[in-house]
Amino acid sequence: MTRQEIFLGNGAVALGLVESGCQVVTSYPGTPSSEILPEVIRLVKTEDLDTYVEWSTNEKVALDNAFAAAIAGKRAACCMKQVGLNVAADSLMSAAYQGTVGGLVIISCDDPGPHSSQTEQDTRLMARLAKVPVFDPSHPQEAREMVGTAMAVSEEFRVPVILRPAIRVCHARQNIAFESIEKNENKASFKKDPQRWAATPRFRLVLHGELNKKLTGIAKKFEGLSQYNFHNLEPDKTYPLGIIAGGVPYAVIHDILAEEGREDVPVLKIGTPFPFPEGLSDEFMSACEKVLVIEETDTLIEYLLGERDKVLGRRSGHVPSEGELVPQVIHRFLNQVLRELNLAGLNADPDEEAGDIVNNLQLPVRKPTLCAGCPHRAAFFAIRKTRPKAIFTSDIGCYTLGINLGAVDTCLDMGAAITMASGFYHAYDQDGAAQPVVATIGDSTFFHSGTAGLLNAVYNGARFILVILDNLTTAMTGMQPTPALGIRADGSEGKAVPLERAVAGCGVDFIEIVDPYNLKHMTSTLKKAAEYIREPEGGIAVIISRHPCLIAYKEEAGPRKKFTITEDCTECNFCLDRFECPALYHDEELGHTNIDASLCSGCGVCVEVCPKGAIVEVEGE
Amino acid sequence: MMDRSNFVLCGLGGQGILFMTKVLSETALNKGYNVMCAETHGMAQRGGSVVSHLRLGDVKGSLVKNGSAHFLLSLDEVEGYRNLPFLSKGARMYINADPAKGLRVEVTGYLEKKEILYRSVQASAIAREAGAPMATNLALLGYFAAFGNGPLSQEDLRNTTERISPDRFKENNLRIFDAGFERGLEGKER
Repeated sequence: MTRQEIFLGNGAVALGLVESGCQVVTSYPGTPSSEILPEVIRLVKTEDLDTYVEWSTNEKVALDNAFAAAIAGKRAACCMKQVGLNVAADSLMSAAYQGTVGGLVIISCDDPGPHSSQTEQDTRLMARLAKVPVFDPSHPQEAREMVGTAMAVSEEFRVPVILRPAIRVCHARQNIAFESIEKNENKASFKKDPQRWAATPRFRLVLHGELNKKLTGIAKKFEGLSQYNFHNLEPDKTYPLGIIAGGVPYAVIHDILAEEGREDVPVLKIGTPFPFPEGLSDEFMSACEKVLVIEETDTLIEYLLGERDKVLGRRSGHVPSEGELVPQVIHRFLNQVLRELNLAGLNADPDEEAGDIVNNLQLPVRKPTLCAGCPHRAAFFAIRKTRPKAIFTSDIGCYTLGINLGAVDTCLDMGAAITMASGFYHAYDQDGAAQPVVATIGDSTFFHSGTAGLLNAVYNGARFILVILDNLTTAMTGMQPTPALGIRADGSEGKAVPLERAVAGCGVDFIEIVDPYNLKHMTSTLKKAAEYIREPEGGIAVIISRHPCLIAYKEEAGPRKKFTITEDCTECNFCLDRFECPALYHDEELGHTNIDASLCSGCGVCVEVCPKGAIVEVEGE
Repeated sequence: MMDRSNFVLCGLGGQGILFMTKVLSETALNKGYNVMCAETHGMAQRGGSVVSHLRLGDVKGSLVKNGSAHFLLSLDEVEGYRNLPFLSKGARMYINADPAKGLRVEVTGYLEKKEILYRSVQASAIAREAGAPMATNLALLGYFAAFGNGPLSQEDLRNTTERISPDRFKENNLRIFDAGFERGLEGKER
């Protein structure tokens, strides 16, 4: 029975996975990839499938797990964001050599912009580095189809295959028709072959040769994959300009040319940028005097083309080398290229006037902030207050926003709060200087990449305070459970691994659990921790700052307390500057600070923050 | 409505932009349109600026190009201004702002020059007075529905709202949609 549904791009990927008979899906959440696994789980339930799903503790763990299933002959996938693939890179490089038995599709979601990432790195280049094929979808429907093809290619050539949807695919929504889905009854059966699955360097050379041979075969296959790689040249015709585009920029350029009715500009669409369909591109280029290459996020296709004097793109300075290629950006440089080649320009003109007006309005920049009532805010306030001279190392998650409270100085990568804290400690200690360091890391990030760094710091004698901001969820990416909760991806019961046990297992002797809403207790514990790290027998002090995320646990939250600001408020702005709760604002009419009741969560932490005691609870409400 | 329609919906994180986009896109799908949306997730949702794009018709890209939106629905005055460059000539703009105060003159000058129909409505006040400040999105949607914007009729949008609202919000959502619609009928007279 055919049904139609509006799928999130990540849902379309999930649909492609279950349709292709994928039996194992692992993931670690990260924007823009986070919804793939939940969408798989939804489809497993509605279609009555038995796909194994897990939130793994990190991306390398996810890939290793999926790889094992694949070499046991099952169809498997793992999903992550592009920087997650860095974490899984060790696994990926080796898996490419060893190959697979069942299909293995790695979905790594790119973030041109970047909207929610540390870098704009391009997964296609990681695929080239690892020597594995990569598919680059232009829209959700194509992503869904490509998953199936990628799975089949992986199984045919026995090699992991990457699908690289960019954020405008992942977080697009599109109507997609689909049929009922069959279970894949294939059983696990691992065939021992130590020269492959435990290959020593001598056999690695052999495997490398095998991989190269596979790539030659795949390149040939990709030449004929005309649903993803195609052009619209007319026979025996030549063109002054052609466009080569892949991924999301192809969708944009397709729409622009269609709206403009520009049949005089042919397009070569590249859906499989590696191994590159050279024959098809040579054919296209021979019919064009110049070609403009439009690709995200970095440069790959442009480097792979022959006849370099024909190529316009990033190297010629026409295409920006950073930032998202949104439609108006593509429109602008396409128009420039058309004019330079004395061709008719584009009709539509996204005029600059509105942009100038908006700039002149000097609108306030709406920077993201921690939610009103966020327990992290209370923790950061206490940290900044008690350890004002410390270096504040932090990490990836909602709590990076502690930067607004002056309590975050560094944010490098997952787990770096701890490793950089030990790095700073030793750098100063070497000089005989006692520089305080306070590290903050979230609960999920700690499980992802915290333990190895903490163990290292303990072992090598670093001394700093580590505050684990434990809100009992992975908040930034959409409230996925952590190992401490004992709830698995599909909602079933798992074995809980308490955070404090993991910390103790890393060799930490000072562990205190505090509710940061109790600012007095939080500050006294921070002081105690500061003393501990100075003691001769002291070391690393870990404070687990534990209070549930207000968004994840809003159902459980009790009735809200109400607060008001009295005439004792002297407009010192201390609360606005140092606590920066979105519910506190300067009220022009009132002449002092006020509380926005629609935003206030009723946490009451600001009562302790106000130096004048002007914030009081409204009794009897 | 033409064979392609581009919507830009904007506001602040937490105002329900995604739900408003969903009501419009599900309604369009029922009317036989192909739909393509682009959403904001992640860091930007934490109280920052949020924008959704919705395109109806046979398109491949999810983003609306500057100068090509037929409709701008803004749940916040400042965010409405910020997204001004998306509007095409002759477009329609519905914004959650106080009509008594009026929009900034630099903006209205531009809108008039571009022959853009614009209406301010206190959608937040409508929702607040009806006892559900979180449903500002539905007040604006109801208001929009009153203007007879092509095939997305008031009836269709209301039916979709009823169908996709979670049970515990259904009654409230419909009440506020209706209140917005009533206000829209008055706004249309102007």
